[in-house]
Amino acid sequence: MNRYLTAASAALAIFAFTAAPSAADTIRVLNWQGYGTDEDWSLEMFEEKTGHKVEHEYFNSEQEMLTKLRTNPGTYDVVLINSAFTPQAAKEGLIVPIDTAKIPNAADLTPEMRNNPNLVIDGKTYGVAWVWGATSFAINTEKFDKAPETIEVLWSGDFADKVGWRDDAVEAVQMAAIALGQDINNPSDLDAIREKLHALKPQIRTFWTSENDWNQYMSSGEFDVAVYWSGSASRSANNFGLPVEFVVPKEGAIGWLDGLSVPKDAPNTDAAYEFINWMIDPEFYVKWDTDVGAPASANAKAMAGLPEDAFNRTVLGNSAVTSKLKFMGPIEDDMREKMLELWQETKTFYQK
Amino acid sequence: MAVSTTASGGAGRANSPTRAVVLLTGPAYVWLTIAVLLPLLAMFYFSFLTEAPIAGRVGELTLEQYREFLEHGFYTTLILRSLKLGATVAFFCFLLGFPCAYVLAKTIKGRWREALFLLVIIPFWSNALVRVFSWTMVLRGNGLLERSIDFVIPGAGSLGLMFTYPAVVIGLVHSYLPYMILTCYISLQAIDDDLIEAARSLGAKRLTILRRLILPLAMPGIVAGAVLIFVPVIGSFMEPRILGGRHGTFIGTIIEDQFTAVFNWPLGAALSFILLACVLVIFALFAPVLKRAA
Amino acid sequence: MAAAGRIYLGLVLVFLYAPILVMAAMSFNDSQLYALPVKWSLRWYADLAGNQRLIDAGINSIVIAMITTVIAGTLGTAAALAFFRYEFRGKRLLQILLFPPIAIPWLITGTAMLLFFFWTGIGRGLHAMVLGHVALALPYVIIVVAARLKAFDPDLEAAARSLGASPWQVVRYVTLPFLAPGVVAAALFAFAVSFDQFVISYFLAVPGVSTLPVEIYTSIRKGFTPEINAISTIVIVSSMALLIGVTRFYRFGGDR
Repeated sequence: MNRYLTAASAALAIFAFTAAPSAADTIRVLNWQGYGTDEDWSLEMFEEKTGHKVEHEYFNSEQEMLTKLRTNPGTYDVVLINSAFTPQAAKEGLIVPIDTAKIPNAADLTPEMRNNPNLVIDGKTYGVAWVWGATSFAINTEKFDKAPETIEVLWSGDFADKVGWRDDAVEAVQMAAIALGQDINNPSDLDAIREKLHALKPQIRTFWTSENDWNQYMSSGEFDVAVYWSGSASRSANNFGLPVEFVVPKEGAIGWLDGLSVPKDAPNTDAAYEFINWMIDPEFYVKWDTDVGAPASANAKAMAGLPEDAFNRTVLGNSAVTSKLKFMGPIEDDMREKMLELWQETKTFYQK
Repeated sequence: MAVSTTASGGAGRANSPTRAVVLLTGPAYVWLTIAVLLPLLAMFYFSFLTEAPIAGRVGELTLEQYREFLEHGFYTTLILRSLKLGATVAFFCFLLGFPCAYVLAKTIKGRWREALFLLVIIPFWSNALVRVFSWTMVLRGNGLLERSIDFVIPGAGSLGLMFTYPAVVIGLVHSYLPYMILTCYISLQAIDDDLIEAARSLGAKRLTILRRLILPLAMPGIVAGAVLIFVPVIGSFMEPRILGGRHGTFIGTIIEDQFTAVFNWPLGAALSFILLACVLVIFALFAPVLKRAA
Repeated sequence: MAAAGRIYLGLVLVFLYAPILVMAAMSFNDSQLYALPVKWSLRWYADLAGNQRLIDAGINSIVIAMITTVIAGTLGTAAALAFFRYEFRGKRLLQILLFPPIAIPWLITGTAMLLFFFWTGIGRGLHAMVLGHVALALPYVIIVVAARLKAFDPDLEAAARSLGASPWQVVRYVTLPFLAPGVVAAALFAFAVSFDQFVISYFLAVPGVSTLPVEIYTSIRKGFTPEINAISTIVIVSSMALLIGVTRFYRFGGDR
């Protein structure tokens, strides 16, 4: 009897397995998890408008994203690339120029973002400016009387073993560069940065790898203060109700602009364009930021649609804050290698 | 392995054994060649290249990857750390698992033994990854363990076990303990009860019996268990990543990074072969013990 | 002494099962951030039913494990028979060649497969995972079947032959029935090796085609959903049921 049952379920399984292949208009998006493109309500609206379904693959770091593009050619239709990495991806031939005429909403993008030199190379658009924000740190407001003014709080003995960090070479080096007042894209004194990072050893509780990780560690009290992204901080506060405040300290913060690109040999370019168009649509953005929490949009119309008191208008709209942002730019190959090596060496140092 | 000559001799066809051997073993070994041996050879070749010759790149022959290893002391540190992790996990599995196997094999009888044995083996059948993950819920700050300790001793405070080296060890011991219990159980079961009885009646102390009789006879099981645990543990990367946090950097995580993130396959290959060489050296050092065990 | 031993065994069982039980409890917890005390809910199971990705991955895992079981079982049994029946040159070498899949860390085998399959154009995906899983399971099958063969009395075959049985009939009516329990055990082993295999699958998975362990790991690393607790609980409960079922069947229906 049991055997018939197993045989039957096996047959069923094989049937379901062969029946699995998806419809033609399914596009595959490569992004961070929980970063706008994969909101259920948005995908439902998109499917209603265009009939296209959207599947997702995720990465944990820009390095991993690039390797996924290298080793899975012809798989993805849309990929989110931090504009600092767009030139590298374009140079390696991983992404192709985008015909912005087919993306109506692109006309509403703030010109300096649309034409950002990292996104537009030799007059060709390799990435459509999507959202921008800051990488700095966020605090648990229950553990602070008032928000700290300096990045040195990450190195403060008061928060030993209570700091959350991200296991990412470029981000780690750039945070240290901010603390030391060095150029984040081409730091002059790597030894000082190494020393600064080594000094974090007693501070770091653990590395977080995803927003979800971050939220759990914050809510369980593992972190008091942790490196974070501006859009994610508003999600943690809005969506998860955590007592979290994003801090842009006096030393400054890392600024970034994320773009949406189309990989080489994307199976469904037209649907990819439609999806990118939807992603920069004010209708999507306003709902995303209001209901969930998002970084600032590159679309001027979308920003105008936000309520007056939105974080993205009060904080990121404030020139006193934005003037403190140091924007990520392309990093030379040998500098990137040095950063990777420095970070690996530092992580080994943390083990001792 | 005892082999009967009468069985093959009786068939009577002179050239058939060779054909039969080829037919019987051929498919399995062709498979192993394609899926394991050739990939290992390819990896060895890659470890001498400047770049992985894929995705339109061209690799040139070089010793750069091995030089990279020698130039940076931290790779050696991480390899030693991984080897230490393997030894620690194997040791604790033995410490926990051997008495457990002994109780199962020698003091519990009948249906109970079977039921308990099954209970020990079942986790081995469930997913290792899931089991490692389940520890995060037990060990995390304000998680189950801290709450229950707090319940017994109020105000005992935070253990801070999560994201430490011990957390990685606990998770790995939990994953691999059934291997040790299984292999020890098999070899302990083969020991004749009368032998132990005889030693006891001759006045041997319990400890002496354990040391002089049971441990040596159970050695094959212990060694097999230790090898089965040590080998995968030194290459582990997902357990340290999930449980180790800041303390979770090992050679395994670095090698994985080379393949999935940094895209430096030749360096990943070189590090893999250096690690493999370490395994072989350790096996060679322990060869006398291993041989006695087998 | 005996009582102490039993208590010890009990403690080890607590160690083995406590985290699994915690996870099962959390799969019924309404809070996504695992807030305690547990507020009971079936919402993650309901979500799971709608998570096509996890379901597909689960089906892939089962299919791969079944194909692996059949192929590794057949090839491995054949090889074990050859080792048992024949003395030949190179036999020792062949036996040594069984060790690499066991004695090399999976991380190394897995990355080697990734690199070789990618380089040669064999590619990754389901077929590659089957290639890898069978190779991993083969040595176990050969060893388990060979262990059973050790207990085989060749005189039985000789007797059958002397009674006029053809070589095929000898295998069909004497050797195979004796071997059956060993083959069943080996098949179970192969299934478990494949179903539990994470590392090899991880390196050979392609977007859209992965297995349950890979999907679970990806979820843990890239943003966890408590649906993972739900599916893990289902996997553990069903593998328990399956194993208990198999041992019962094995006892009452199979041997002797």
